[in-house]
Amino acid sequence: MGRQVAIVSAGFSEHASKRSDVNMAELVSEAVSDCLKNAPGVDFNDIDAYVNGNMPAFEGVNLPELWMTDWMGARNKPLLRVTTGGTTGGTVAISGYYTVAAGLPKIDTVLAVAFEQQSQGDTSVGLGSVAYGEISVLNTMGIPYDQLSRLLSAGAAIGVAAYQATNYMSKTHITEEDLARVVVQNRHNAAKTWWSHLKMPDITVEEVLDTPYISYPLRYGMVCPASDGACAMLFTIEEKAKDMCDIPVYVNGVASVANESAVLGYDGSGTGQIDPSEQLGAMKSSELAYYQAGISFPRKEIDYAEVYSPFPNQELMWVEKLGLFEETTAPKMYETGVTSLKGELPINCSGGVNSTNAIGASAMERPAEAALQIMGKADNQVPKTVHTSIGHGWGGSLNLCTLMVMSDEPQRKWRR
Amino acid sequence: MEKVGIVGYYQVKMYSDANYGRYEMIFEAVRGAIDMAGLKKKDISTVISCTNDYYDGRTISNCFTVEVGGGYMADESKVEMDGAHAVLYGLMRILSGNHKLAVIWGGSMPSCFPYHSTRLYETDPTWERQLAYVNDITSAGFQMRSYMEKYGASAEDIAKVAVKNHKNAAKNPLAVAEAQNSNITIEDVLNSDIYADPVTELMVAQPCDGVAALLLAPERQALKITDNPVWITGVGYSQDAYYLGDRNLYESKSMEMAGKIAFESAGIKNPQKEIDVAELFESNAHEELILSEALGFADKGKGATINSDINGELSINPSGGAISGNPPCATGLIRIIEAAKQLRGEAHGYQVNNAKKAVASGQIGMCAQNNIVFVLEGGN
Amino acid sequence: MSKLTQRKSLDYVKKDYVRTRTMPGNWYLASYQYKFNITHNNEFLKKLKDKKIVGNQCSGCNRVFFPPRLVCGKCLVKPDQWVDLRETGRVATFAIVYLKDPETGEVQEKPTVLIHQDGADTAIIAQLNPEVDFKDTYIGMPVKIHWAEDRTGGLMDIEYYDVLEDDAEDMNPKK
Repeated sequence: MGRQVAIVSAGFSEHASKRSDVNMAELVSEAVSDCLKNAPGVDFNDIDAYVNGNMPAFEGVNLPELWMTDWMGARNKPLLRVTTGGTTGGTVAISGYYTVAAGLPKIDTVLAVAFEQQSQGDTSVGLGSVAYGEISVLNTMGIPYDQLSRLLSAGAAIGVAAYQATNYMSKTHITEEDLARVVVQNRHNAAKTWWSHLKMPDITVEEVLDTPYISYPLRYGMVCPASDGACAMLFTIEEKAKDMCDIPVYVNGVASVANESAVLGYDGSGTGQIDPSEQLGAMKSSELAYYQAGISFPRKEIDYAEVYSPFPNQELMWVEKLGLFEETTAPKMYETGVTSLKGELPINCSGGVNSTNAIGASAMERPAEAALQIMGKADNQVPKTVHTSIGHGWGGSLNLCTLMVMSDEPQRKWRR
Repeated sequence: MEKVGIVGYYQVKMYSDANYGRYEMIFEAVRGAIDMAGLKKKDISTVISCTNDYYDGRTISNCFTVEVGGGYMADESKVEMDGAHAVLYGLMRILSGNHKLAVIWGGSMPSCFPYHSTRLYETDPTWERQLAYVNDITSAGFQMRSYMEKYGASAEDIAKVAVKNHKNAAKNPLAVAEAQNSNITIEDVLNSDIYADPVTELMVAQPCDGVAALLLAPERQALKITDNPVWITGVGYSQDAYYLGDRNLYESKSMEMAGKIAFESAGIKNPQKEIDVAELFESNAHEELILSEALGFADKGKGATINSDINGELSINPSGGAISGNPPCATGLIRIIEAAKQLRGEAHGYQVNNAKKAVASGQIGMCAQNNIVFVLEGGN
Repeated sequence: MSKLTQRKSLDYVKKDYVRTRTMPGNWYLASYQYKFNITHNNEFLKKLKDKKIVGNQCSGCNRVFFPPRLVCGKCLVKPDQWVDLRETGRVATFAIVYLKDPETGEVQEKPTVLIHQDGADTAIIAQLNPEVDFKDTYIGMPVKIHWAEDRTGGLMDIEYYDVLEDDAEDMNPKK
């Protein structure tokens, strides 16, 4: 039961704040053709099924995969659409994995595509409407709308991230300088990646700290940009993978665990996450995925990590919660260079979400980049050999975490 | 493909304007399915929801449904298509060997929003939406006219399908009250308000409020949970071209391809003879004919000649099909539940005698662009 | 049958034009009529009028929800018991938002806090006393409900939270 799945290729479109030279469908086809270019032996006839996803509310097109059928080459092929907000890319990659692993009749090779063209819509309206329904309940229970505007800003991603940052900072006693250091590392890495958005090879910690607050303790210079971009990944079975590329990357564990929703809660009923930086969901998903992959000592066995961190405090938090570092030690690791390109455990060498955030695609770019590092094809390739890497995604209302564990050899533990 | 068992299901009664809160409705469906199987929250290993951001008026529409949908600390994901596609994803997760019990729920409340104008957001934003000629209603008109023109079918043939489904819905206690009409005649259907000529009001599956939930388990676990599981033995899905001009509207190429793969994996050579019940998602009456022809139940253009009543030669939509109630994101899921009910002998009032094998389908898009079909088999 | 033309080549994406045609389009949230059932909150809202606060408790995991919840996600059952709660609580976490007044263009700093009510297991977004300097906010800060003068049985009956001293008499659970 179940089959071993391998990644044979990954492709990106160019990311920018406004890709006004293409529309959504053309943006997607850019990533698809880049993905197929990286796997010379594969053409559209070899692809048996598709998985697609984005955050539809941002662009004003419902079910865009119907419209862009031909731009992906998906006509008369099986197609599934999966979306979960910020983690969309991660869930699309995971469902690409499951489509192959399930062993459905006549489906061996699957192309997973995630994209976002935020310049086509109003992202703040899209994010605001995440909690709009929940806030309306509070209105029916007696809170006037003028009071609710404050809650609305807290309901959006920046609001919840600010809560998380305050909690994390009070727990670890770090300063804003520690946060800025993470940003600087990411922006420097992004400058060496061709598809990334914010390329700033010369930015310094002081420059980041010089920008105004967007929501205390986060400053404008610390948060992610809003990008347009797409990402595609090609999954296939173990037997076919060797014909399609030199170094196939095997997917050994996947998980996407949901915790209770944060801050407002459903029907405005509050949250069970009293400490939003506790992240039980991330801990549970790493437990599940590492178990499937047979990883007992993540700190030693994982060579490279791509974590989903639009805000620098989250990057510090995730690397701890995913078991890569001891609790509260992450800021130290960034200071001593352990996480840099040449360090022991490089993190986000593509620049991460902090430098490029096409929301629907970001969570897929993490496993895609982590896979390319194993293949040795990444733009900002780490000098050491990468055997095992992870790609992580975060979304929903601080509550959903996706994780994909990849390796250069198949070692999935079969469960029954 | 290995067998996967349906071990529980629950469907909230459909209303055109339900007196329910959203979360209450979802909770009732999920809890009902878990209770039917006699399980607990901790047995759930994965939850697949099916909602749509536009239908729910929320970005990330599954974001706050974690608690009520049973997804707390479970491997959770959302499919944004028809409920039947969510079942497919649940099926994949079970087949991969990672999970032992999948909860699939789907549904929405169209009484909260103007359904047909929301469907307009599915169209190509640069061309078709600006012209606003193409939406779900006009495209249904194109399709029905094209079918009638190609095969010489009459409007009465198609009205007959609507009459049958309305009459069947009258026997289905969960159907939406407005669709339950046991005295309906062909004239009533043809004389009802015109949506897009030749499609009339009573031929259209009207949107209504509803949520349904389904439990899937691998073979070994399914036999432990229930004595009477229903097995999913085959599945196929396929997507057609988007632009209506690129397709032949009088036939469904995607359903043909989906059906071929599904029947092959279930080992069915002659679907017309071997299948006892078909639950098809027909968003308009004529689609039932097109889809059943595509599945090989009749020759092209001869769909109207099948005796598709309950206990006819091949019973199609004994529950009333989508015409008995069409909650967006749940209709395909409800078709699977209805097919499972027939195979378990639980369809009281509209039970097909001796039902052994069934098909259930789901669709999404204008003129059924993406189709999915499941082959189900009765228990031991 | 018409000849189906699958676009196999992707080279048709033209590079010679600078802008695609842009089209205005909207999707309106306002057209959506959200439906809620808040009957499970009635008991709680009624008691607010009498300056009493209650939460509901799940009999499966004994967690207390304030404000009351429809369903306990951990056990997937409806909470069925009512528990009296004290007026005090602590700041679970906070953020400072910078709101721009649309008319004057003036930027206001406002702390928004998540309050963890004593005796409850969930936290709720709330407002601090407007006189509190936001720079003094910290995690774990003790607070107490400030009731509104005219109570109508709505959430605004809790006007805001007053800040207490660390060793305030009110924080003593035995009181």
